[in-house]
Amino acid sequence: MAGGGGGGDGEPEFQIAPMIDVLLVLLIFFMSITSAQVLQIDKDIKLPVAPDAKKKDGKNQINEGAVNVAYKANKAAIKFGSLSWEDNLQGLVDRLSEMKRNNPSYRIIIRGDRAVPAVEIQKVMNVIGQAGIDDISFSALNNDN
Amino acid sequence: MSKVKHRQLAAEEANMGFQIAPMIDVVFVIMLFFMVMAGAVKVERELKSQLPGIAPASPTEEKEMPDEIIVGVEESGAVTLNEEELDAADNKVLPNFTASLARLKQEADNRGAKVLVTIQAEEQAKYERVIDVLNSLAKAKVANVTFTVGSDQGF
Repeated sequence: MAGGGGGGDGEPEFQIAPMIDVLLVLLIFFMSITSAQVLQIDKDIKLPVAPDAKKKDGKNQINEGAVNVAYKANKAAIKFGSLSWEDNLQGLVDRLSEMKRNNPSYRIIIRGDRAVPAVEIQKVMNVIGQAGIDDISFSALNNDN
Repeated sequence: MSKVKHRQLAAEEANMGFQIAPMIDVVFVIMLFFMVMAGAVKVERELKSQLPGIAPASPTEEKEMPDEIIVGVEESGAVTLNEEELDAADNKVLPNFTASLARLKQEADNRGAKVLVTIQAEEQAKYERVIDVLNSLAKAKVANVTFTVGSDQGF
């Protein structure tokens, strides 16, 4: 009988080459899903958990900026890029307004520490509103492991 | 003497070949590591929201008043739905709250009405608790959310 796998009369041999192919593909798959999604956020911020929130789509990263709200020694520190503010947030309004002017579809992600009082987040929303940005989102984690 | 040398060279040449078995061992270990890590990986999620002010007003369109639901977030962590506390203050999942919201949303959808949720958080209420509430709202598929913190100023 022609065709079919194996051929010959002997015992089917274990093929090492296709197994290595499969192993390497699996290895690359697991490497990519673990490394591509590793968080790259401020280490001072412990994000809250929201398992039912939507996954972030990484497409629009040019159009978005992150405002980080850390909470240390009962004081909120607001960071945008490399700059940080504590009390007077006018500088942040100006900076965000400039970003919005340069890119009309600019959006902001608020990354707040889970211990931050709600009023601090409201202040940040107020600043974002003053800068004319209407599209915002709150950052959270999928799990807390 | 030359025979011994020749034998040594032959043995070295034989060992120079690529060893497949240890490579498979190593690849297996690395793959197991990444498989285990894949389950525990933290991914950033987002709860989208829209601030007012930019949305164009449509005066000609007759607007139906939405059903407004007031959600309170207290400093103690208690979450209230129209001033009724449904879950314990330390319950992160808020099952009764989420179920009630889903029921209200379903009922409003059947009538063709919109649901508007106003989150009234106390000034010192934890942001984490506000996110718990937003997570429940996302679960119940409620999209219209406004915020009020402490005083009457809000979004």
